[in-house]
Amino acid sequence: MPVKFDYLVRETTSNLGRNVTITLASIMTVAVSLALVGASLMLRSGVENATKRWQGGIEFVVFLRTDATQQQIDSLQNDLDQSPEVSKVVFVDQQQAYSEFKSLFADSPELIDSVTAKDLPPSFRIEPVNKDVDAVESLGLTFQGRSGVDQVVFASKTIRLIQQLSSRLTVGIFVIAAFLLGAAGLLILNTIRMAMFARRREIEVMKLVGATNWFIRVPFMLEGLVQGLIGAFVAIGALAAFKPFFQKWLPSAQDIPLVGGFQVSGSEMTVIFITLGIVGIAIGAIGAGIAVSRFLDV
Amino acid sequence: MAPIRGPARLASWGFSPAERPLIMITLENVTKTYKNSTVALRDANVEIAKGEFVFLVGASGSGKSTFIRLLNKEETPEQGHIYVAGKDIGRLSGWKVPYLRRNIGCIFQDFKLLPTKTVFENVAFALEVIGRPRSVIDSQVPAILDLVGLGHKSDSFPTELSGGEQQRVSVARAFVNRPLILLADEPTGNLDPATSVGIMKLLDRINKTGTTVVMATHDRGIVDTMRRRVIEIDRGSIVRDQARGVYE
Repeated sequence: MPVKFDYLVRETTSNLGRNVTITLASIMTVAVSLALVGASLMLRSGVENATKRWQGGIEFVVFLRTDATQQQIDSLQNDLDQSPEVSKVVFVDQQQAYSEFKSLFADSPELIDSVTAKDLPPSFRIEPVNKDVDAVESLGLTFQGRSGVDQVVFASKTIRLIQQLSSRLTVGIFVIAAFLLGAAGLLILNTIRMAMFARRREIEVMKLVGATNWFIRVPFMLEGLVQGLIGAFVAIGALAAFKPFFQKWLPSAQDIPLVGGFQVSGSEMTVIFITLGIVGIAIGAIGAGIAVSRFLDV
Repeated sequence: MAPIRGPARLASWGFSPAERPLIMITLENVTKTYKNSTVALRDANVEIAKGEFVFLVGASGSGKSTFIRLLNKEETPEQGHIYVAGKDIGRLSGWKVPYLRRNIGCIFQDFKLLPTKTVFENVAFALEVIGRPRSVIDSQVPAILDLVGLGHKSDSFPTELSGGEQQRVSVARAFVNRPLILLADEPTGNLDPATSVGIMKLLDRINKTGTTVVMATHDRGIVDTMRRRVIEIDRGSIVRDQARGVYE
């Protein structure tokens, strides 16, 4: 039997309106917890982007001159490959550097327009065998002054600290957000239980005259889903409004020359927003599902 | 009044019209015990034919209501089989129970009307929630309200009606979908004798259209006047089953 669309809209909205305060409470809890999740995801992306060239054990980067010849590059590559002290070498050519730059500054097209692949230096990212600070430094300095080399930049303790701090912060925020999401789920469950209590006469009559179980359940399920979804929208709106401040507060690339900017690209934001939407719907559906299966004896 | 559409309705939950049974309700060695070990029904064997009018009598707590609740599967028996329209409802899977109930109208002592809906809306609700289209609702509801004599009150709310009128609305709601069976659990329990007579006349009319009526009652006067089949239940056991019977 088809459940009519206008019936669903009417029932769901009237259910939501019946318990405005508790509905708002669950929506706000969903919103706050999802905003926390989103903020920590943004922080993680920002730090990841800022320290991109320092991931995977890379301890120093040899930046070449933009006018380095292929011969100079080959010679360096050869030496690095031969060296017993180097465990991994990644060559980033100008085109790759440019695409990394583009994804990092996807939000600032004027910056991308002003830079071409030719302006960016190619580089070698090097993971040494011995990660001791002094050993890394002496190894790196052997490349300083080679022809075609512009400068050698080392991962400082600061970078490692930032990465560590951000991952711990992310875990911490996630734990708090998980508790809040649990609370939001329980609130939604309770809201729906109350809605079912308010409508117990209707439900009794519906069962009596032979309404199908799904016909009775669906409006309550939708109610939970809508609460989760509205909460997610509020969180997404808050994060979108907060994003410019987020990037202003954090130090820019100029302040810490070792790192790129703490940018979160548009596509990363989209992924974060979609994640929040899905989590919001899931929380609503789970809360409503439990309420419907436990308290709606059909 | 529109003709009873029994065969088509039966087909909707798995019968072909050719199999249409003459026996509407069968209880076969049915025993129902509640959790506190009260025996509500003990080894009951009953056959009720299509179109019969049956009174269930007995003291409070004797098992009349359980009898009725078993028929639309609000309760399930521990032992025995219940057949409604030839189908073993014990084997009916949960999602099919609503389709069983569409063939069974119910009325109660406390009417179970929705106070926030008008008379029209209360009756329409029963059709709406089983997915009947608006056009059917708009033609059937006024017709059934005229039948129960409340055509002029369709915009009133239940609280604005007398008890008898409220019970008429609940009869209209139970019958608007033309069920095969009408179950009535003390439908006159809250009504004065004169009003009760009106309700009984209505149920009698519905019965005459071929609908099987099973009514649990305490009302001696009604049972003795109507002289229909009487099944007496005493502490869960059927102690008397009498055609054209009286209350005692």
